[in-house]
Amino acid sequence: MNKQANKIILKGRKVIGGIAQGEALVSKMPLMGWGNVDSKNGYTVERNHPLYEVPYKGKVLVFTEPRGSGGFVGYGRSRLFGTNPAAFLYRKGNNLTVFAAMVMNVPTVTDFDQDPTEVIETGDYVIVNGDRGIVEVIKKTR
Amino acid sequence: MLLTDDEKRILDGKRGEIAQRCMTFLVDYGEAAGADKLIDLDGTVDLHPGSGWVGAYDIKLEEIAELARKGEGFKVPTFSDKATAPGFIVDGWENCGVLPSSDPTFHKKCLEDLQPYIDMGMVPTFSCNHYLVSSFWPSVGQHCAWVESSAVPWVNAVLGARSNFDGCFQTAYLGKVPAYDMHLTENRAATVLVRCETELKRDMDYDLFGWAVGETLGLKVPAFVGIGRPTTTQLVKMNSALNTGGQVRMYHIPGRTPEAPTLEVAFQGKKPKETISITRDDLKRVYELMNYGSSDDIDFVYLGCPHYNIEELRKVAGLLEGKKCQTRLWVMTNPPTYKVADMAGYREKIEDAGGILLSGTCPGLLNGVVMPPSGVPKVIATDAAKQDYYITGHCHPNKVQVRYGTTEDCVDAAVTGKWKGEWR
Repeated sequence: MNKQANKIILKGRKVIGGIAQGEALVSKMPLMGWGNVDSKNGYTVERNHPLYEVPYKGKVLVFTEPRGSGGFVGYGRSRLFGTNPAAFLYRKGNNLTVFAAMVMNVPTVTDFDQDPTEVIETGDYVIVNGDRGIVEVIKKTR
Repeated sequence: MLLTDDEKRILDGKRGEIAQRCMTFLVDYGEAAGADKLIDLDGTVDLHPGSGWVGAYDIKLEEIAELARKGEGFKVPTFSDKATAPGFIVDGWENCGVLPSSDPTFHKKCLEDLQPYIDMGMVPTFSCNHYLVSSFWPSVGQHCAWVESSAVPWVNAVLGARSNFDGCFQTAYLGKVPAYDMHLTENRAATVLVRCETELKRDMDYDLFGWAVGETLGLKVPAFVGIGRPTTTQLVKMNSALNTGGQVRMYHIPGRTPEAPTLEVAFQGKKPKETISITRDDLKRVYELMNYGSSDDIDFVYLGCPHYNIEELRKVAGLLEGKKCQTRLWVMTNPPTYKVADMAGYREKIEDAGGILLSGTCPGLLNGVVMPPSGVPKVIATDAAKQDYYITGHCHPNKVQVRYGTTEDCVDAAVTGKWKGEWR
């Protein structure tokens, strides 16, 4: 933990390099693609999902894991519509998250030393250094 | 990533521009995935023809056509998953009544666009379960590149071959994939012991069990105890739900699946990191999750996710014999099984009852456009958790309700127009 009480550093593995920052949008529930992501509007349309129709445009999208079909790449395709997240952080992935990240082409980090969905809360300010796999979290003031 | 001299030459463009771009994709993919080398495929590829998957890395149709004209082909036996052209139906499209699927010009254009893949050697199985009809399986330990929720656990768990979810033009053309995840022995060990504490009897039970496990485990590898001796239908349903409700792409059934002669071997000699139990209540909870909505007035019944096998078609044909459908009923299979079902008279029985037998797609791929001329239904009945849970998203922003139950419940709904299924 950093000396500043409201600042936390997470170390992970680079998936896609680059530097980005923004407000966090956190999903403790896995994300599902294909029919359940609306790339154009930039949100999940999975029924019962806590982020149903919550836009991720410009946010640092933080989630646990992917689930389901190869159409997970729909999160990446948001890039074509300018509705993509500013950065993409996930606890654990596979090639579905990698392909989404390659299409989205924004700083992406995974395999952290701590569970990012436990440390980061929606509304925290997050600075992502994709090249170094380092994520700086500034907790929102309460 | 460490590349061989031959791979470096391909990356430098010595084998042409397309091979160079495919290698660039594999290297970027491998590095992003944390792989340290590529591996040569010696099994098979399963790909969605016609789909752009990874944006700027995709090889365009005209480029594939040019390669086909030059006589180039895929490096390993390559099979076709569903073609992703929106609206394309392989068989039965003439009677489906929805546009653009029923337009002969559209159908012809789709077939023309798929021809270059076929010319390069792709076998036109056009199915989410090509593995049931491919007549050619990878053997234990072979490296493959497959796609599709039900197919990936099939190749890994049922066949004991090794695949991530990355079958595509590039992996088939170069016959290589990044060596990571399911290609490495240590990642294939079970880490979670799953005890099934309820008897799985009906096909639906395996669908519900798969979803319940998938939701709980995500990307982990389980070993199952107490799931009986599943049939082909039950394995396909379980695999589809495991890899939709979660991301389970490998599992073991000790004493049954190839990499688990015993429970100890399934865990590669280590102790389980966790043990979970699945009970009747878990199945009921998933059943309730799948019953989305309260209307009993069904206007569309969908059977065939994953594509129905011949035994499921025989069953449905039998249930429909001498009946007349009040709702629209689609029964979907893969193209090879469509031909066998036609020969067996099952198609005739389904169509005499007012249903339609089709092949090669599903309502999800059609974005829910299944009501003439190009509309989405209001209340769907289906016997597949995967289709159920996606179709509401595909139809968004239209609000669609879904009723879920056994095949018998769905056929009854088609015949009576009313949903009478309930948890039993």
